[in-house]
Amino acid sequence: MSKVIEGFGLGLRTDHYGDFVAAPQGVDWLEIISENYLVDGGKPLHFLDRIRRDYPMVMHGVSLSIGSNDVLDQSYLRQIKALAERIEPAWVSDHLCWTGTDSVNLHDLLPLPYNEAALQHLAPRVAQVQEVLGRPLVLENVSSYVRYRADEMSEWEFICELVARTGCEILLDVNNVYVSSVNHGFDPHRFIDAMPAAAVRQIHLAGHEDHGTYIIDTHDHPVCAAVWDLYAHTLQRLGPVPTMIERDDNIPPLSELIDELDVARALAGSTLSDRRHAA
Amino acid sequence: MSALAELQQRFQQAVLCATTPGELFAAGEPHQLGGGYDLYVQAYRARLAAALRDNFPVLHRALGDDAFATLAQDYIDCHPSPFRSIRWFGHALADFLAGTVERLPHPALVDLARMDWTIRAAFDATEAVPLTLSDLASLRPEDWPALRLQPTPSLRVVNLSWSVEPIWKALNDDADATTEEPQALPHALLIWRPALDCRWRSADAGEAAALTALTQAMSFAEWCLLIAESGDPEPAMTAAGLLRRWVAEELLAKG
Repeated sequence: MSKVIEGFGLGLRTDHYGDFVAAPQGVDWLEIISENYLVDGGKPLHFLDRIRRDYPMVMHGVSLSIGSNDVLDQSYLRQIKALAERIEPAWVSDHLCWTGTDSVNLHDLLPLPYNEAALQHLAPRVAQVQEVLGRPLVLENVSSYVRYRADEMSEWEFICELVARTGCEILLDVNNVYVSSVNHGFDPHRFIDAMPAAAVRQIHLAGHEDHGTYIIDTHDHPVCAAVWDLYAHTLQRLGPVPTMIERDDNIPPLSELIDELDVARALAGSTLSDRRHAA
Repeated sequence: MSALAELQQRFQQAVLCATTPGELFAAGEPHQLGGGYDLYVQAYRARLAAALRDNFPVLHRALGDDAFATLAQDYIDCHPSPFRSIRWFGHALADFLAGTVERLPHPALVDLARMDWTIRAAFDATEAVPLTLSDLASLRPEDWPALRLQPTPSLRVVNLSWSVEPIWKALNDDADATTEEPQALPHALLIWRPALDCRWRSADAGEAAALTALTQAMSFAEWCLLIAESGDPEPAMTAAGLLRRWVAEELLAKG
């Protein structure tokens, strides 16, 4: 298994392959989208292997569909396991969501109803994935634009209960917390403060589109001031957690992303220093 | 059916049909203000259309934005994705076009779609170590009859009806290229990836048949017989010429 990951990372994108091969970059680790490398050969695996030699990695999937009513796709799980054996990631994550049912994939991260029935559906499925992978599954909170009538609890209560029942871990997307808090009118600090610190393995930061009455999680802008503030609050609450910036569209030169990552480093440095002094 | 299954089926069906699922969502949510659920409908179609543009870059250029967008929406309606990775979305687009060719400004666009998709398939196909002339030179004479030559695993042999390769190349190099009308020309197109970059070239029917035969685990002796029985006047020269060319082009893989 990869060494313990610390510090600040980026999502590996094809636009930046050349930069990572050409010279060392100011990035402590990289996150890959697992599905991009579930192929037989060619450039994706060539560059993955090449860059893996120089950077620790974590795997981040988008189609496990852990909350779907369909049975878990064993073939997909075997592929994920094989990729994990190939690159030895520090951890393997996906999203706490469903992506489709009846063998259709909507290729979106759809929210689950936050209720007891969903927890009972999820718990054995998480256990099954963890058994196949031989490691805790790390699950990310998704941005959402709807809430269901069937909800019985808050999203943070739902996540905490799932962690308690399964031992899964959390990829805390601070931007997603903020997006959902605006869309659904809750205080994002309540979400952050409820997280079980020992289970939070990683933090995502990203940009979004603000439409006034609602926000869309687009990953095509720099991180906004409100999310930086919430990130600082998160670190005060949780202490140091490996953090990365996700950029999936309108991808800038790598140097711009590293500059933005340096903002996270500086903010984490000052926040954690204040936290130590306060302790 | 469980409540969760029913919720997911109703949500999904509504997204696929771009309708509104009744009674699923809590009141006071942003979907009442123009966001919310509608965002899932829009994102679904936008995401799959973008995947088709990525997978069919030259067809997109040939059709233009508006016509390609209309085609994409029709295809999305008829072929919901069953794939874990969106990279595979569009596997049936060429056949979809062939079945509705009257919608196209020219039937040769079906072949452009086949070429786009097949190059995409070769792009991340299995690696192989190329067979070299020195590999062949090291064989003993008695090894040759039972030898089983293997095409490189990325090789795809595509049957096309039109001479679209010059158009594909021109539009791939320059989105605004002016192109000649393609001619009707049934032929085979070979697409493969020797190292990291794909190659392609046309082939006559005899070469395509000889290459395809190798995918059927045919021995060298059987393969020579196949060429001899094809009516070729100089089968030995033909076989030797094909072998030399295929090795030079890294079309064959080490066993």
